[in-house]
Amino acid sequence: MSGASDESRSLRKFLRHKPAMISFVVILAYVAVAAAVILGDLVSVEDCERRYGPKSTPGFGVSQLFEKRLQDLSWYAEQIEQKLALRQKLKRRLQSRGVEPTNEKIEQELRGLRIGNLRPADISAEDFQIRLDSLWNTVAELDEFDDLNNPGSDTTTIERLTSAAEGQMRSLYAEQTPAEARHRNLHLLFGTDVAGRSVFLRSIYSIRVAILVGVVTGFISVAIGSLLGLAAGYFGGWVDGVVTWLYSTFASIPNIVMLMVLAYMFRGGEIDAWLNDLTGDRFGWLIGGTLDETLIPVFVAFSATFWIGPCRVIRGETLKLRESEYVQASQVMGYSRVRILLRHILPNISHLMLINFSLLFIGAIKSEVILSFLGIGVQSGASWGLMIDAARDEVLNDFFWQIGAATALMFGLVLAFNILSDALQDILDPKHV
Amino acid sequence: MTVSTGNLIRPKSPETPSVALSVRNLSTSFRTDRGLVNAVSKVSFDLHRGESVGLVGESGCGKSVTSKSIMRLLPEHVTRYGAESQVQLDGENLLTYSERQMRALRGNRIAMIFQEPMTALNPVFTVGWQLDEALRYHTKLNRTQRKARVVELLDMVEIPNPDRRYYEYPHQLSGGMRQRVVIAMALACEPEILIADEPTTALDVTIQAQILRLMKNLQERTGTAILLITHDLGVVAQTCDRVVVMYAGQVVEQATVRELFHDPAHPYSRALLQSIPQSGKKQQGKRLATIDGIVPSLFDMPDACRFADRCDCRQDLCVTDLPPISEDDSGRSVRCHFPVSDSSSTRSEV
Repeated sequence: MSGASDESRSLRKFLRHKPAMISFVVILAYVAVAAAVILGDLVSVEDCERRYGPKSTPGFGVSQLFEKRLQDLSWYAEQIEQKLALRQKLKRRLQSRGVEPTNEKIEQELRGLRIGNLRPADISAEDFQIRLDSLWNTVAELDEFDDLNNPGSDTTTIERLTSAAEGQMRSLYAEQTPAEARHRNLHLLFGTDVAGRSVFLRSIYSIRVAILVGVVTGFISVAIGSLLGLAAGYFGGWVDGVVTWLYSTFASIPNIVMLMVLAYMFRGGEIDAWLNDLTGDRFGWLIGGTLDETLIPVFVAFSATFWIGPCRVIRGETLKLRESEYVQASQVMGYSRVRILLRHILPNISHLMLINFSLLFIGAIKSEVILSFLGIGVQSGASWGLMIDAARDEVLNDFFWQIGAATALMFGLVLAFNILSDALQDILDPKHV
Repeated sequence: MTVSTGNLIRPKSPETPSVALSVRNLSTSFRTDRGLVNAVSKVSFDLHRGESVGLVGESGCGKSVTSKSIMRLLPEHVTRYGAESQVQLDGENLLTYSERQMRALRGNRIAMIFQEPMTALNPVFTVGWQLDEALRYHTKLNRTQRKARVVELLDMVEIPNPDRRYYEYPHQLSGGMRQRVVIAMALACEPEILIADEPTTALDVTIQAQILRLMKNLQERTGTAILLITHDLGVVAQTCDRVVVMYAGQVVEQATVRELFHDPAHPYSRALLQSIPQSGKKQQGKRLATIDGIVPSLFDMPDACRFADRCDCRQDLCVTDLPPISEDDSGRSVRCHFPVSDSSSTRSEV
C-alpha cells in the first residue's frame, strides 16, 4: 500500500471499526450536550433546583401504587391551593399599592411558583373552588378504603375513582400544548428526587460537570506530566532528580487525602480573599462567584495529583528513546537538543499522551463522583456524585431511578471512552499494519 | 524536477591524497564509581581524502569509543580526554569545540551511520521527511529543491521507485532498504568524512555485499573519506585501503590491506587472521585457531605490552616495558618489541 495515503488509511480503518465509530458518536453526543449546557443554556442551575412534581415520582416508566397516586394527587391539590391563596394575597397587595391587579401582573409575580411548566387554569375563583371541592371529595372517598395497595375485589372501583381524581386534578391546571406536554413527560422521564426535582434534568446537567472535569484535568495533567517527564528523561542529571523527587513525594501522599486537603483549602474562602487582593477584585468577574462555587478547586485538586501517572510513563519512555538509534542518528546529524526533543521524541510519545489523556479523563470523572459522594467535590448545581450521594437513602426504599440515571449515563460515557481509546491504540500505532 | 542538482557528485581530486582527519594521541577516559577508566589510550591515525580506513579489533577494544570521541558523542559529564589528545579537521582540534560548533559539523562535514538499520529511522515520519529534515537543517535549499535532492539521493543509493518511497514509513522498508536510506541521509550534505560503525553487521550476507559495494561506489563518486569500524576482516578486505588494528584501547598495527593480510607484523594481527574460518581442502579436519586468554581488565591495564599475556612469542621485555611504535617510510607502523618479520609462515589466503 502506498505510504501517501497513510493518514487516510488510518481514517478508513477507523471508519470500518464499528465499536470505535459507535463509541465516537456516543462521546460526540455527550460532548454536544455538555456544550449545549455550557454555551446554549440547555439546562440551567435553576432548572436543577426547581420542583417539577411531587417527591420521589418513579421514573423509567415504573407504574405507581394507588397509595402513591393518591398522595401525589393531594400534593398537586395542596400546591394549587397555596398558589390560589398567594394569588389572593398578591391581588390585595397590589390593590393596597394602588395598582390595578391585571391578570398579566399577577401571572408575572406567580411565574416562579409554577410546578415545572404547570400553571393554574385561567378560570374564576368560584370555578376553582368547585373543582377543588370535587377533587377533595373523591380523595376522601378513596381514603375510606382500608388498604389501597391490596384492594382485592375493589380494584376496579379504586381504579375508576383514582382516574377520575386525576382528571379533576388536571382540570385545575391550564391546558398544555402538545410541546409542553412532551417537555413535561421528558422532565419526569427519570422521575423526581426527594425534593421533587427532575432527575432527568439533573443528570443532563451533570454531563457538563463530567465533561468539564474530564477534559480540563485530563489536559492539564497530561500537559504537566509530559513536560516534566520529557525534561526529566531527556536532560537527566539534576532535572531528573528534581522531577523524580517531586513525583515520588506527591505519590507518597494518599490521593484522596490530598484531594480532601485541597478541596477544604478552597472552601475556606481565604484563597478567594487572597486572589481578590492580588487581582484587585477582578477575579470574581472572571470566574463568576467565589472559587468554592466553581469547579476550579476540583480542577486544581485533580491536576495536582493526576500528573504523576503520565509523568512517570513518559519519563521512562523518553529514557528509552534517548538511547534509541534514531535519536542518536539525529544527534549525529547535528540537530539541536530542543529539536531532537520536540521533533523526534515528542511524536513518538504522542500515543502515550493520548492514552494517558483518555485514562485520566475517565479517572477524573470517577474521582469527581467519589469526591462529590463524600461531600467535598462539586458544591452547587448537580453532579452524578451528588445524585448518587442523595440516592443513598432512596435505594433502601426501592427508589432506584436517581442512582440508576446517574450510573447509566456515567457508564455510557466511560465505556465509550474505553472502547474508543482501545481502538485508537490499534489504529494509530505506526507499526500495526 | 527542474532543479539541477548536478553538484551532488564531487569529482575526485587528482592531486595527492591530503589528510582529511588526523587523530593524534587520543585518550578517552570515563569517570566511574571505581575511578577513572581509560578506554582508549594514545590512539593516532590519519584518514586521507577519498580513502577507506578499516578500524578493526574485538569487542571492547575501543573502536566505538574512538569513533564517538571523534564525533564528541560521549556523555560530556563523565568523559575526560587526555591533555595531548587531538582530533584535527582542517587544522582545528575538534576536542576543544563547543557543542554548538560540533552541531554545525555533525551531519554536515562528518556523518555517521550505525549498526542497526531497523531502528535507525524514526518510525513516525516518512523516509522523505527525514531526509528532507537533514537538508532543511544544514542547507539553504528551498522546498522544491530539497524534494528533488531527496529523490536524487534515494536514487543514488539504488532504491527503486524513489518517488514513491519518499512517502513511505520506515516500517514499510526492508532492513537493507533502511540501511540505504540511512546512508543516503548520511551523505545528504556531502560530508568529507563518513564514520560507519559496523554498518552491515545486522544484515544478511547478500545484502551486506550489496551495501558494501554501494558504499564503495558512492565513495568513488563523492570522494568521501570512510572510517569503517568492524570486527569482520572480510569486510575490511573487500572495502578498505588501509587498516588500523586496535587491541585493549591501543593501536597495535597500521598497514595497507595488502600488507596486513599478507604480512601481519604484530602477533595479535597474525593471530586474528589465523582465527578466520576458511573453506577448502587444506583446512578440512583442522581445528579453528583461537587466541588463548582474555583481554586485560580496563581497571588493571599492565604498564607493559597489553597483549603479552596471550602472545606466542612473548619475551621478558614484553612484560616489563611498553613497546614503542615503530614506523617505516611507507607509513606502516606497529607497536611491538619483536614484530613478526617472517612473512612466509603467516601467509593466509583471504
